[in-house]
Amino acid sequence: MEVTLKIFRYDPDKETKGNHSEYAIDVDENATVLDGLMEVKSSHDSSLSFKGSCRTGLCGDCSVQVNGKGTVACRTTLAKAVKKGKDGVVSVDPLYPAKKIKDLIYNQNDFLLEKYKSMKPWVVSNLAHGAREDEVSDSTIKELQRVMSCTMCGLCDQGCLVIAVDEQYVGPAALNKVYRVVMDPRDSSKREKLEFASGARKVWDCTHCFEATAHCPKDVRPTESIFELRDMAIKHGIGHGRPVNHHKSFAASVKNDGWLDETRLAIETEGWFNLPGLLKLGPVGLRAFMKRKAPLPYFLHKKRKGADAIKRIFNKWERES
Amino acid sequence: MNKYAFFPGCVAKGGCPELYPAAVKVANKLGFDLVEMEDVGCTGAGVLSQEVSDPINARTLAKAEVLGLPIMTICSTCQGVIGKANLRLQKDPEYREKINRDYLAEEGLEYQGTTDVKHMLWILGEDYGLEKLKEQVVNPLTGVKIASFYGCYMRRPSDVLQLDQFPDRKKYLEATIEILGGEAVATKGKGQCCGFPILSANERNSLEMCGNHTIEAKKKGADVMVTPCPLCHLELDGMQPRAESHKSQKIQLPVLHLPQLVGLAIGFTPKDMKMERHIVSTKSFEKQIQWIEVLSKNPV
Repeated sequence: MEVTLKIFRYDPDKETKGNHSEYAIDVDENATVLDGLMEVKSSHDSSLSFKGSCRTGLCGDCSVQVNGKGTVACRTTLAKAVKKGKDGVVSVDPLYPAKKIKDLIYNQNDFLLEKYKSMKPWVVSNLAHGAREDEVSDSTIKELQRVMSCTMCGLCDQGCLVIAVDEQYVGPAALNKVYRVVMDPRDSSKREKLEFASGARKVWDCTHCFEATAHCPKDVRPTESIFELRDMAIKHGIGHGRPVNHHKSFAASVKNDGWLDETRLAIETEGWFNLPGLLKLGPVGLRAFMKRKAPLPYFLHKKRKGADAIKRIFNKWERES
Repeated sequence: MNKYAFFPGCVAKGGCPELYPAAVKVANKLGFDLVEMEDVGCTGAGVLSQEVSDPINARTLAKAEVLGLPIMTICSTCQGVIGKANLRLQKDPEYREKINRDYLAEEGLEYQGTTDVKHMLWILGEDYGLEKLKEQVVNPLTGVKIASFYGCYMRRPSDVLQLDQFPDRKKYLEATIEILGGEAVATKGKGQCCGFPILSANERNSLEMCGNHTIEAKKKGADVMVTPCPLCHLELDGMQPRAESHKSQKIQLPVLHLPQLVGLAIGFTPKDMKMERHIVSTKSFEKQIQWIEVLSKNPV
């Protein structure tokens, strides 16, 4: 099978900006993008730099963008990529928005590893030094298999729509990792970890857009992990400020009325005594009021029919959790 | 016959009060028979824990099952959250039994897993059919450049969208625009997050997203934007003045709800569609369609 690869080339010693070069290669029908890169390196240009190790989707090392979409190169066949490429040419670029080092190699430290480390993603055991082994039952660890299969390929962060506008956001990969540790029965630092994860530019900054889950090649579902971290933080009374106020007000309004009271939500999110926050709501509220768009003030908000049944569900859930 | 258990959601009757009447008028004109579900709860919108929103949604699904009707939603977020709950309840009979036993039995309800949940956009694309919709168009939106904006839950996750069964669900919005006579403007942002969910957590990021999407559409020549999600509307329309200050530039892109756009093409007036309630004025767009109408009736 003849394929043309359009590969991003960048050499920091020679240039400030990179450019694309095209390589025509002849490969096997079942060849992957990683096979293609290795073919280019061995038969066209030995200076091409890229990463890749296990070749079976286990190590997460070979993440690149193929035709503008993040993927692991060893799990993407060229035959498929050709169909989606522009004019049948397969483009291969380094992960965005990570900083480029050379060709397809990007700086994992800023993009991923420093964020991971900031979350202290390791088990802090209670066992005294020298005590017997800390055992985990099969059944508890089985539940963690989904999140444990993360290979740190970085594709969820690459697809993250928040990182796209704010590189300082910690991102789904690190949050999934901290979830994995918090759920580990051996960990004794659950509360500290949740507190840290509830801080600025972390768990509450996620838009739950499901891009992370959609980008994950291992079905780790990082978006779901973030949902669970939030639920846990709320349950343990951890975190404060607007996002937590928002969450609590939302729940209270559905619990009492069966549906959402948006006026109450807007005010309670800011906090009744947060004068600057409430003043900021002024123009938004006024604009909505002038357009007869504003929902009714909360004391006029009607209960839904069936609100009692919803309240019963809430009460029962609260009792049981 | 297109008969549905109609689930309007909270925002269509709250922060976007123009959406509910527009959707009902359009559905009636197209001959849909809607039975509104008045005694069911909020889906949880991805804010409430799944542990409590799943029973609330199971209750809604069970009530539609009693009616023997599929559910019609008019909000991407409602669709995504109740659709996801439905998938869990359908796939896992043990889980469904537990929810029935623990939460629904008291009311004499039991969800058996047979209810289908469809957004109005999917209903137009699949049940009603876009060709049939074309026959209803009396005021084609000829030459109007329209940017689509889906809302996350109409794009992801793919299992909830049932893309294997309905592969075109990510294309209906553009297809509808074209059927109504308009010109779909392709944008990068159409399937991305509008920014609304993080308005309380990180206003700067939220306004950045709102600004990026509306500015991108405007740059690509869009006269108007259309969305099937009222939460996206709250952000893209309601927060647009704030995004303008954040981005230090005028944007002024009118944003329409899907039923409003359909409504205008099938003979309703902007007033019928309550467009005066939008934060960003729709006047420029209204003038544009008035001229199209005048010119089509008086060919030069």
